[in-house]
Amino acid sequence: MGTAQDETRRPASRLADYWPSGLAVPAFMISWSILVLLPIVIIVAFSFLQMKSYRVVYEPTLATWTNIIVSERWFTVVRTLRIALTITAIELLLAFPFALWMAKRCRSKSLKAMIVTLLTIPFFLDMSSRIIVWRSILDVNGGINSLLLNLGLIDAPIQWLLYSEFAVHFGMIGSYFPAMVFPIFTSLVLIDDEYIHASGDLGGNPLQTLRYIILPLAMPGIVAGIIFTLVPLMAAFVEPRMLGGGFVNLLGDSINSALQELKYPTAAALSTIVIVALGVLMVVLVKLIGRREGNTSLFQVVQR
Amino acid sequence: MAKPENMGNGIEITRRTALGGMLGASGAAMLGSLPFGTSAASAADNPVVKVYGITSAQMNDWAHIKEAIGITIEWTPTNDDTGVFIRDVISNNVGETHDILIFNGGTQTVLAPQGLLAEIDTANPNLTKWADASKDWTESALVMADGKTFGVPIDGNADSFGYFPEAIGVDPSGSEEVSWGVMFEDERLRGRVGVDRNWSQSLCCAALFLNHAGRQNIADVANPTGEEAKAVVDYLIERKKAGQFRTIFSSFEEQIQLLSNKQVDALNCWEPAVRESNKALNANSVVYAYTVEGYFKWGHAAHVPAQAVDRGNIENIYKVLNYFIDGEYRAYQAIDRGYAGPNMDLGVEYAKAKGWEADKVQSIQNTADKVARKFAKPFVNLPAPPNADAIEEEWQRFLNA
Repeated sequence: MGTAQDETRRPASRLADYWPSGLAVPAFMISWSILVLLPIVIIVAFSFLQMKSYRVVYEPTLATWTNIIVSERWFTVVRTLRIALTITAIELLLAFPFALWMAKRCRSKSLKAMIVTLLTIPFFLDMSSRIIVWRSILDVNGGINSLLLNLGLIDAPIQWLLYSEFAVHFGMIGSYFPAMVFPIFTSLVLIDDEYIHASGDLGGNPLQTLRYIILPLAMPGIVAGIIFTLVPLMAAFVEPRMLGGGFVNLLGDSINSALQELKYPTAAALSTIVIVALGVLMVVLVKLIGRREGNTSLFQVVQR
Repeated sequence: MAKPENMGNGIEITRRTALGGMLGASGAAMLGSLPFGTSAASAADNPVVKVYGITSAQMNDWAHIKEAIGITIEWTPTNDDTGVFIRDVISNNVGETHDILIFNGGTQTVLAPQGLLAEIDTANPNLTKWADASKDWTESALVMADGKTFGVPIDGNADSFGYFPEAIGVDPSGSEEVSWGVMFEDERLRGRVGVDRNWSQSLCCAALFLNHAGRQNIADVANPTGEEAKAVVDYLIERKKAGQFRTIFSSFEEQIQLLSNKQVDALNCWEPAVRESNKALNANSVVYAYTVEGYFKWGHAAHVPAQAVDRGNIENIYKVLNYFIDGEYRAYQAIDRGYAGPNMDLGVEYAKAKGWEADKVQSIQNTADKVARKFAKPFVNLPAPPNADAIEEEWQRFLNA
C-alpha cells in the first residue's frame, strides 16, 4: 500500500519513463537550436549577401556592411543604444523605489490592486493609439504650451516639447515603466519580511538592509526588468516616429526602411548588430552583478 | 535551394506553383462531381475579376462597374509600399490568385524582365478606349519596359506641396506658380515646413529644385545616381541643420493633422490631404501648389500577371482594363479623389450624359485642366528606379543627420 508521498511521486516517475534523463537535455538543445539559434544564424549569414534590383544576389560580400558605414546607418545603432540605456536607467531609478513601496510599505490591498490595474491598462491599448495622444498635448498649440502661455510663464511656445529627443524619451518612459516595475515588484514581494526585520534586529540601518538584504534578493527581478525594458527599447519605432517627428531615427526605423526596399541583407546586418549589442550588454550586466553580488545572486529565488 | 524550372514561356514553375497546380487539379476533380454545368453557368452569369491593388485606385462603390459591364470586382488592397508589392508579386505569387495588379506605375521595369507580367495586347477588341488615350499616358514610363507596354495607366496626379498663402504672401486663389524654394529655403517658413519621409517624394523634388536653380545638373531627377543623390542629400542635411524643417512625416493622417492644426505652413503632401484639411479649416485655407519647377508626377498602372493569361478570364480582364480608361471611372476618380487619367474628355462626357450637376461636371473639367497644366512641367516619378539602392542609402544620411 503506497503512502501519500508515493502517490505524489507517481506522475513524475511515469514522466521519467517516457523522458529518459539522458535524452531530455539533448532533445532540449536540439529544439532550442532549431527554433532559436538557427534563425539567428540565417540572419547573420544573410547580412553577407546583397540585393540588386530587388533580388538577392547569393554571393558572399561585405558590401552590405560597408554600406551601413557609408550610409551612416551605424549612427542609428549608437543613438539607439544611448537612448535605450538612458531610458532603462531612468526606469530602474523610478521603478525600484516604487516597487519597493508597493511590495513592503503599501498595506492597503485595494490600493495595491488599483495600482496594478493602472499599470496594466496600457497593455489594453495599441501603443500607437496611446502615443499619438501626446502629440496634441506636447505640440506648439497643445495643452502644455497653451497652459504655460496663459499663465504667462513663457512668451512663445516651446518647440522642443515635440519632435525632439526629449519627446521620445518622455513617451518611452511612460511606455516601458510597467515592464520594469512588474518583475522587480514580483521579486520584492517574495522576500520574507523576517529577513528585513532580522537585519534591523541585528543593528542594520535601512541603507544597510537595502544594500545587503533587499538588493541581492531582488536581483533576479532587477535583471529581468532590465532585460524586459532594454530589449524592446532596441526595436522601438512608435515613439521615435510619432514623437520624434523624423528627427530621432532609431534602429527600428532603419530596419523598417530597409525592408520597405526589400533590402533583406541590410535588415539582417542591423539585426545582427542588435543581437551582438544585446549579447555584450547582457554579459557585462551578469559580470557586474557577479562581481558585486556573487554569481548565485541571479538565481536566489530558484535556490530558495 | 532548388532553382525554379523555366518552362520557356516566361513563367517559372516553382514548388509553390506545382503544389498549387496539384491542389487546383484536385479541386477541379471535386468540382467535376458537382451537378453538370453548375460552376460554368455561375461563372458565365457572374464573371469575377480579382484585383490586387493600391487602395487609392479603388472606386468608392464597385457597384458602378457591375452595373456598367456586368463584372464583379474582388479587391485585395495593398498600400503604397513598393517593396511589399514587389515581394508579393515575386515571392508570394499573387499572380496565381489575382487577375489584375494595380500599383504605382514603374515597377514593371523590375517585374516584366522576370516574366511576371504579361505584355498588354493593345489591339485586344475589348480595349476599345486605348486608341483614344493620349500617348503621354499610354507610352509613358508608368507602363513601358524595354519598349513594350506592360500596363494600362488608370489614373494619376502631379504632387507638389500644400501651403498657407498668407504665410508667403501670395495670391490666395492658388493659381500663382510658387517655387519649391519656399519649402526648402524660405526664411519666413523656417521651422514651419513638413517633409515626407518617402525619399522618392522628397529627395527627387529637391533635386528638381536644385536643377532648376542651376545648382545641380542631375540628368534624371527620378533616378539620380548615387553621387547625384549624395549632392541632394548634402543640401537637405544643410537645410535640416539650419532648422528649416519642423517634422519629417510618414503617413497620410499626419499630413492632415499637420495642416489642419496649422503646425506647419508648408509640406509636400498628397492633394487629398489638402482637401481634407480645408474641410476642417475654412475652404481654400490651404492651397495645393502650382510650382515653378515641376512635380512629383505619378500614376497608377494596371498590370496583367503572366499567370492570368491562360486562366480563361482574359476577356473579362480586358473589359475591366478598358473600364479604367473609360468615362465612368474617370468621372468618379476626379470627383472622389481629384485624380486625372487618360481620356479625361470621356469623363466630362459621361457626367454630362448622366445628368450630373453642373458643378460636378465643372469639377471634372477643372481636374483635367489642372493635371494638363501640371503635366506640362517636367518630371515623372518611378517607384522602383534602377538606382533605388544607392538613393535609399543616401536618404538614410538625411534621416540620421
